[in-house]
Amino acid sequence: MTRPLSSRDWLGKTSAGFVLGFTFALALSGLFRLWTGYGDAYFSAQGQLGMWIMALTWPLVLGFVFLFRTTLRAWLWLALANLVTWVPLVALGGLHTS
Amino acid sequence: MKLPTDLVRMYKEIHGWVGIVAGLALFIAFYAGALTMFEEPLQRWASPPSTLAPAPSLERTPELVAKVKAAYPQAARGYEVNLVIDAAHPGRVSWRAPGGKRGEHGGGATYFASLAPDGSLQVEKQQRSEVANFIDVLHQQVGLPFPHWLAMPIMGGVSLLYVIAMISGVAVLLPSLVSDLFALRIGRNVKRMWLDLHNLLGLMSLPFHIIIALTAVVFAFHDEFYGAQRLAFSDAASRARPMMRAEASIDGTPTITPLRIVQRLQEQAPGFTPHQIVYGQGGGILPALRVQGTDPRYGQRGPTYGIAGLDPDTAEIVDRNYMPGMQDGWAATTTGLFTLHFGSFGGYPIRWTYFLMGLAGAFLFYTGNLLWVESRRKRERKAGAVTQTRATRVLGALTVGVPTGCVAGTAVTLAAAKLAGPSASYGLHSAVYYGVFLGCTLWALVRGAGRAGSELTVLAAAAMLTVPAASLLRGRGWYDAGELLLVDAAAAVMAIALLAIARSAWRRAGAGTRDSVWAARPLAS
Repeated sequence: MTRPLSSRDWLGKTSAGFVLGFTFALALSGLFRLWTGYGDAYFSAQGQLGMWIMALTWPLVLGFVFLFRTTLRAWLWLALANLVTWVPLVALGGLHTS
Repeated sequence: MKLPTDLVRMYKEIHGWVGIVAGLALFIAFYAGALTMFEEPLQRWASPPSTLAPAPSLERTPELVAKVKAAYPQAARGYEVNLVIDAAHPGRVSWRAPGGKRGEHGGGATYFASLAPDGSLQVEKQQRSEVANFIDVLHQQVGLPFPHWLAMPIMGGVSLLYVIAMISGVAVLLPSLVSDLFALRIGRNVKRMWLDLHNLLGLMSLPFHIIIALTAVVFAFHDEFYGAQRLAFSDAASRARPMMRAEASIDGTPTITPLRIVQRLQEQAPGFTPHQIVYGQGGGILPALRVQGTDPRYGQRGPTYGIAGLDPDTAEIVDRNYMPGMQDGWAATTTGLFTLHFGSFGGYPIRWTYFLMGLAGAFLFYTGNLLWVESRRKRERKAGAVTQTRATRVLGALTVGVPTGCVAGTAVTLAAAKLAGPSASYGLHSAVYYGVFLGCTLWALVRGAGRAGSELTVLAAAAMLTVPAASLLRGRGWYDAGELLLVDAAAAVMAIALLAIARSAWRRAGAGTRDSVWAARPLAS
């Protein structure tokens, strides 16, 4: 038995998309940075594209986050998405070392 | 396509609310953005003729540069040699006054220099009208008169809402797509017609809107995105360094002459039309010696130009990151995205197309607002209310007042550029625009949407006509090219279109249902 989708819980879902969508987008751009190896050259062509990845991912998450049945599910699924991107990113040394 | 009904209902509600919050700001952004397609011609139209002597030839330009540097040592830090002389670039050599903010979003006064017939130095402070810049900023800041740092996050919020509106709008339309798409039911059911029109416009221009929304998010939040990346991924030492490299400048005189630069460039990039040689000025990612120009066969990174980075001694193209047609795949990808926002490819045919797409986009948001007001009326009617609630009346009035205010305000401030002459500051253009804009909005709120609808549209048509009227007053001397008459012609055409709209609004106000917000004499509340 599933509850029908509703726009009533928009605030909780939007917050999940706003916060966890941003960190998820950041992780994706970090993986892209690792893959292309542009390092600290953020304004290089690859670096700019890395920024565009965030600009693409974050609004898309915000647009589709309403498809989760509940606010809790939105937070949990997006947390999972963060986990599966941040863990390999950290493991591969994508973070600063200091 | 089949979608669960609860999903469609949810997205319908979201689409409505997101649309009503962002719609009017997006109208202004799209209308002003459509005008910026002709930023250069508008600037030339609005700028008084220069009093400088005709530009010296490229052969004599080194003499002019030497004289400028001797008289204005600050110019040596960075200056330009203009290869295309027009109202926006009336002198062969130009530079920025010190003290002006540097970087992407600022700049002090610009000076232009030429050589008088006797060989003496002539300098003129920039006469260029600020009006084109004002309209561009209006576009970038979705019509908000705030400083950049405050307007940008708001614009970013609007652009995020815009993405949500797009996704939800498509979700709402998908189930009835096949039956509704090519159905434009013009008839007694006015709301049905507006909805059909809104759907048709929205879906047909969806690719355009996807690009505009994505790039708008970048324009709003690039600092935040880069900042977050640096915070997360860079080590402390790297973070301590400023993100923007200090601008590179050229010590002494470059050995290569402007003429030679143009020749060398012609050999290396035959299709590229150079407009300006820039010496040692610009942000951190730009090379010290570069040439800005156009190549209509390719997209350009800037709104009006691409950039070739040159070796300062040999003029060999060393930096191809922004050079049309010479970029690698990475740079070409980001350039492509910018290009699709700026419409900076294919020359004027594409600019006209983008102009019409921008107007269509503005109209899309306007129809969205109309629909919102109309369906609220229906809902409230069902709930038992005979008259409109105040919220619906206010939104109806804003739906009329804000777009007409924006259309009338930009037209009048454009005409003011020609009447006020070179003394017209940015502040004056701002005051004229917001005076008209707020006047229209207040008028709509006081008179109600029904009566204000036709009145303000007639006013906007009259405002449009101030553009050719200003031209008539100033005469032919202000035209440096015959094509600029198109500015006046376009304004006249738009005035006629506005009059036609006013006529239907007037009819609707008289003939529509009395409880509609569009009725001229709404029921007493």
